[in-house]
Amino acid sequence: MNKIAKTVIAVVAVFALSACGNGSAGSNSADGSITVISREGGSGTKSAFEELFELLDADGNGLTVASAEVTSSTAVMLTSVQTDVNAIGYISLGSMSDTVKALAIDGTAATRENAASGAYKIVRPFAVTTLGAPEGIAKEFVDYILSPAGRAVIDENGYIASGTESDIELTATGNLSVCGSSSVAPVMEKLKESYESANKNVKVEIQQSNSSTGISNTIDGTCKIGMSSRDLKDSEKSKGVIETKIATDGIAVIVNNENAVTDLTKEQVRAIFAGETVSWKDVG
Amino acid sequence: MAKVRESVMRIVFLLTALMSVLCVLFVCFFLFTNGLPAIAKIGPLDFLGGIKWKPESNEFGIFPMILGSLYVTCGAIILGVPIGILTAVFIAFFCPTRIKSAVEFVTSLMAGIPSIIYGFFGLTVLVPLINDVFGVRGKGILAASVLLAIMILPTIISISQQALEAVQRSYFEGAIALGASKERSVFFVVLPAAKSGVLASIVLGIGRAIGETMAVVMVAGNQAVIPESVFDGVRTMTTNIVLEMGYAADLHREALIATGVVLFVFILLINMLFSILRSKERVQ
Repeated sequence: MNKIAKTVIAVVAVFALSACGNGSAGSNSADGSITVISREGGSGTKSAFEELFELLDADGNGLTVASAEVTSSTAVMLTSVQTDVNAIGYISLGSMSDTVKALAIDGTAATRENAASGAYKIVRPFAVTTLGAPEGIAKEFVDYILSPAGRAVIDENGYIASGTESDIELTATGNLSVCGSSSVAPVMEKLKESYESANKNVKVEIQQSNSSTGISNTIDGTCKIGMSSRDLKDSEKSKGVIETKIATDGIAVIVNNENAVTDLTKEQVRAIFAGETVSWKDVG
Repeated sequence: MAKVRESVMRIVFLLTALMSVLCVLFVCFFLFTNGLPAIAKIGPLDFLGGIKWKPESNEFGIFPMILGSLYVTCGAIILGVPIGILTAVFIAFFCPTRIKSAVEFVTSLMAGIPSIIYGFFGLTVLVPLINDVFGVRGKGILAASVLLAIMILPTIISISQQALEAVQRSYFEGAIALGASKERSVFFVVLPAAKSGVLASIVLGIGRAIGETMAVVMVAGNQAVIPESVFDGVRTMTTNIVLEMGYAADLHREALIATGVVLFVFILLINMLFSILRSKERVQ
């Protein structure tokens, strides 16, 4: 009995020590093979990223290398890049945090200012989608987003508002369901708070998934408003979906803070995600 | 009057019992009517044996996912079963009564932790640890296997413990009386006598591991390719469904349901094995 306990403790201790030892020795700079991290197929960030970096074949299918890891949300993407020195991924510029590092593309830093001025080219639209023209409470919420009050919220959160409407009178009452892109959802939460405090008679409910799910939910009527972070596909337009652009968002290509690389060309990023470049040594 | 009440209650109980049977039948019906036509359309061989999963180009081969599920489950069994059985032996025979209830409480608590919490633990602790220790990207078969091994422990421990404690005390006492040490009596007399119960716990653990989704999706990497080493990323059948179901349409959607059919058949086989083992135990 005593012997067994001692053996177990010894084994555990050896394990723990070896883990620590290797841990400190192994915390290295990025020189190994690149860990490419992508998003799931329905993600608007993914389709916008593939389009912007020309990762599409002639039929419009994505060319992201099959060995890329697939994460299913912005949060998991951030954590994955934060914990792997060799990782590279991409997120919405508005979701950037200092736990990871955004790379400059073609010498232009990925900042909100550069995206607003047009210097940073890796940008995509944020849009809300409705089945047919928005009506009633949905119309009022969309108009509110485009009005100065809504634009202020969008700008505060690091995106570039694209509305031009003037102030509107808020008269609607009732509930409104909004669902879709997890990239749009954070700013939509802020817009919801602002709208609900401006109009006490409405209740907005936000569910986040991804762009494609949001759009298909507006088609089947599960949600009144969908959130999308990519352009509509022809198949979606033909079903009567209408999009209203509410903001422009940059996509940041992110790496681990310990990675020495700070700047890549668009072509280098494309080659990495296409699986042509596999080691950080080849882009240093 | 009392007789009427009795027969009414009997019907109520019958109906509640039928409810769960009906639920299973409905699930079977839904799965097979939606999934089997898709398998027929894709071609059973192309579906089960195909190594390319590219929904956008209508290639639906789930062989990498079947293999993925088997790999992570095997890994979990290899790591989890010895620990689980030895823990059960410890609780049943060697645990000081003072801490026995505490140990039992903790293992049952383990069963109650939601799988998403395990997933988060894996993503923030296990993945970076594997990354540091082995100097490879952390997400993959090993991370998923270790995590699943932890998750199946409570199942294996509690059922094995029950089986061990159900063995007649006279076996143990007989061995002691013949001069065997306590360890020898437990490992060479009681444990073999509880064999079928212990095997049943392993089978149930396999069922839990192969069906686990939310924890695996966060640490497995989710690449739909056949892995070449234990450090490679892997996509299981469950994660394939959860990653793509949100936005899949038409044949893609049906192919995901068909993936569910394959998973269901696996679970069915495992449960049949379980009941066979259980009935054997009763005969003994």
